[in-house]
Amino acid sequence: MEEPSTDVIQGTMDMLILKTLSLEPMHGFGISRRIEQISRGVFKVNPGSLLTAFQRLERGGWLDSEWRQTENSRRAKFYSLTRTGRKQLEFETADWTRRATAVARLLRAEG
Amino acid sequence: MSLRRQISRGFAALTNRAAADRDVADEVGQYIDAATAAHVARGLSPDDARRAALLEVGNTTRVREQVRGYGWESAVESFITDLRYALRMLRKNPVFALVTIAVVSLGTGAVTTIFSATNAMLLRSLPGVTDGSRLVSIDRKDRDLKGGVSASVPFLVNFRSRANDFSGIAAWSQLPLTVTIGGAGHAAYGNLVSGTFFTVLGVRPELGRLFTAEEDGAPLASAVMVISDGFWRSAFGADSTVIGRVVQVNGHPYTIIGVVSRAFRGIYTPLKSDAWVPLTMTAQLRPGHDLTDLSDYWLKLVARLAPGVSRAAAQQSATVLTAAWAESGIEGASWARKYNTARLVPLTGLPEDASNAIIGFFLLLLGASGLVLLIASVNVAAMLGARAIARRREMAVRAALGARRGRLVRQLLTETIVLFAFGAAGGIAIALAATRALERLPLPDEISLDLAPDYRAIAFALLASTLMGVAFGLAPAFQAARADVAQRIRDDSPSGGARRSRSTNVLIIAQLAMSLLLLVGAGLFLRALDRGSRIDPGFDSSGVVVTALNPQAWGYDSVKSSAFYETLRGRVAAIPGVTAVGYTDVVPLTAQNNGAWVRRPEDRSGSDATRVRAEIARVDEGFFGVVKIPVRAGTAITRSDDSRSAKIAVINETFAKKFWPGGSAVGRTFLMDSVLVTVAGVVRDSKYVWLTEAPTPFAYFPTAQQWQGWQPRLTLMVRATLPTDRIGVEIQRAVQAIDPALPRPAVTALRQENAVVLLPQRVAAMVTGALGAVGLLMATVGLYGIMSHSVTRRRREIGIRVALGARGSDVLGMVVKEGMKLASFGVAIGLLLAVGATRLMASYLFNVSPLDVITFVAMSALFLAVAFVSSYLPARRAARVDPMKALRTD
Repeated sequence: MEEPSTDVIQGTMDMLILKTLSLEPMHGFGISRRIEQISRGVFKVNPGSLLTAFQRLERGGWLDSEWRQTENSRRAKFYSLTRTGRKQLEFETADWTRRATAVARLLRAEG
Repeated sequence: MSLRRQISRGFAALTNRAAADRDVADEVGQYIDAATAAHVARGLSPDDARRAALLEVGNTTRVREQVRGYGWESAVESFITDLRYALRMLRKNPVFALVTIAVVSLGTGAVTTIFSATNAMLLRSLPGVTDGSRLVSIDRKDRDLKGGVSASVPFLVNFRSRANDFSGIAAWSQLPLTVTIGGAGHAAYGNLVSGTFFTVLGVRPELGRLFTAEEDGAPLASAVMVISDGFWRSAFGADSTVIGRVVQVNGHPYTIIGVVSRAFRGIYTPLKSDAWVPLTMTAQLRPGHDLTDLSDYWLKLVARLAPGVSRAAAQQSATVLTAAWAESGIEGASWARKYNTARLVPLTGLPEDASNAIIGFFLLLLGASGLVLLIASVNVAAMLGARAIARRREMAVRAALGARRGRLVRQLLTETIVLFAFGAAGGIAIALAATRALERLPLPDEISLDLAPDYRAIAFALLASTLMGVAFGLAPAFQAARADVAQRIRDDSPSGGARRSRSTNVLIIAQLAMSLLLLVGAGLFLRALDRGSRIDPGFDSSGVVVTALNPQAWGYDSVKSSAFYETLRGRVAAIPGVTAVGYTDVVPLTAQNNGAWVRRPEDRSGSDATRVRAEIARVDEGFFGVVKIPVRAGTAITRSDDSRSAKIAVINETFAKKFWPGGSAVGRTFLMDSVLVTVAGVVRDSKYVWLTEAPTPFAYFPTAQQWQGWQPRLTLMVRATLPTDRIGVEIQRAVQAIDPALPRPAVTALRQENAVVLLPQRVAAMVTGALGAVGLLMATVGLYGIMSHSVTRRRREIGIRVALGARGSDVLGMVVKEGMKLASFGVAIGLLLAVGATRLMASYLFNVSPLDVITFVAMSALFLAVAFVSSYLPARRAARVDPMKALRTD
């Protein structure tokens, strides 16, 4: 039997980041930890993909970033959600729910 | 997606790459720090925590590159890197780089030169006007669009007052003028134009002002003139105070009011245009004509389509107007009724029939130059292929270090495109020089060409060479970047494998075949030129000079003109060394003609079916003696054939045979323009317009017997034992002795004037000859290269053969045979191509067969001889291989 995958489901990385940032601005490692914690270890985030996703989301106008002090007085790049980012999150959440429900329904029917 | 953010961040990253890199590195570092801190918080020792954090992140360089790889600017960055690398590689191999660039330059230069000339003659819209795409010429034609007539002034006035589909209509006509500046006469290529001419075209002045509606006012009220930039420079030394100056035009005072912009070269761009005067001055500059004459068909019309009106719609409405005019019968002449159709043609700088005639010719030359570019590209592809072999290890090492195949291909392709870009620049430089050379061809005086490449030709050069670069660079790039790393690094032997050498052989054969095709084409044109210059024109042009005279342009009326011609004849005849003097209005064999319809006297039906088309000329009694056309029967024209005596004509043998087969023509009569003409004599047939023409009925009428109302412009023809320049000076002196204010007329040898009819063949032979030579050079260099390469590759094999007892001559024979095998394939395929292609040239060949055996055999022989030399040289090197050395070095 194979080990269960901890890869983030394809196409959901952006949504997970946006959701995490909807609570408060955070830096890269914080986001990665938060996703792991909340998913109870189901998802482990690859730092390379995460940082690339930040570039993409920032270019897209959904995130803003700035360097500032962390609580233990280190410098870190903090990301925050923009207004369009918030809208995008709503859209992606609705979209995901719709699709996940459909998949769940299909699986039930098969069973 | 926020496009603005994409672009601005991308540019920020591009312009400050160090900062962008640092930002990403900082973020990665900070991520590791935070992860370490988290592990420490869970109780790991700082060292273990850091190790765990690093493990989690993985290869930090890779992460950094992954993050930096996002965004469009990273593609730009890698392109810049490739470009730098490519330039460095080329600097490291300067010989390869220079040869390749030279080859591409020649190919691009050839095709750009021809494209540039085609563009200038056929494609580009009229230079110097505003929004040329909305300009049309309005041609009055018959229903089948075969024949046509020019417009009369009343037609123009009627048309202009009724047409709604045009925002402006203008008329123009060429009229040679004599402009006298400070006592010196200048012959000027003039135009009479309506006041709307410049506004309809949207031409801008360089100095002063151009014509306005004011110049369309009362007849003879606007003695003003606009001159061209060229005339301003040549006749006035670009004097900026020229505006307001009064000069004599045909002896009348005119004020210069403006100079047109340099770009504007008139409606027919290859013809010189020096000056423009208002149409209202007609009666003064064309004595005997007035603006109300319904049957004076002499104007060409141009118009600007009204906004939103299509050419087709305007053509329809213009035809309605033309038909109404023609069928009203207002013009009197019954034949005019059939010209009831209007045709609207975009203004391209050439009359429509002329552009139709030269399109085929230019397509032929374009095809030939395209072949040269193709040969050049194939040549470069072969060189790149050879280099790909040489660089296999480099590529293998780079692949082993992690470069993906696509990355390597992109890198190699960048190198090729850099080469082709340099080649394109070289090609544009060649085209600039070559078009200038073409402009200097010995052309008739009234023609001046501007063939220089414009932005379109330059874009064409860049596009053509880039496309060729990609098309022919792709295969070698893929070949070089082929994976299989271990195999490559291990593979030390310099032998490239049979497959590669077969593809190179195909390239070489293709080159040889295409350059043979070019050579055969050039050879056929040369043969045609040779045959053309041997065709007996039926008259003797040697020792004859011609001088076109235009007394009307000097302001002479017909009485004064006749007196002038008479006096000049006497003075020239008195020059020592002159043996004959004559006049004609159509100089034989200079591509000029003047046709007329003639009928039998008993045929007064007026129907089109029974009339016969003949060429005509007005000549005096001296003409036949000057060109030595012998009289076959009856008498030639005499001095007594003047306006008071009965109308006579001298006809040629074809005319006589056509009208009176079997019988004698002398004393018979025929009708021309309903005038009864008696045949006084029959002269031998000769060539009149073109060398290729079929025997044409021809009639000569005495210059002294005019019934069509206008005085023809005559050309003085002189047979003399003096050289052309000497007799030229004497004739000019004689003209100015009669009237010192007259411009000095040009005197040229008839033989030189006749050369015009061979111009297409001469240009074609020159261009295809040059292209063929370039093609041959490239193909032989290619063959030489491939043979040398093969000899180097097979050194070891040859060494073994020699060690086993092969003699030098055996080795020599073996290599030469290999080269000649390639060449024979090339010749065979080239000949097949030529058999298919030369048919397209048939109409330019003066009955030389497109499959002319002599040309095909001679060119194949030349080709094989050159191929022999280029494989013999490497073969000789092979024959000298020392087996001991060859076997030891490997």
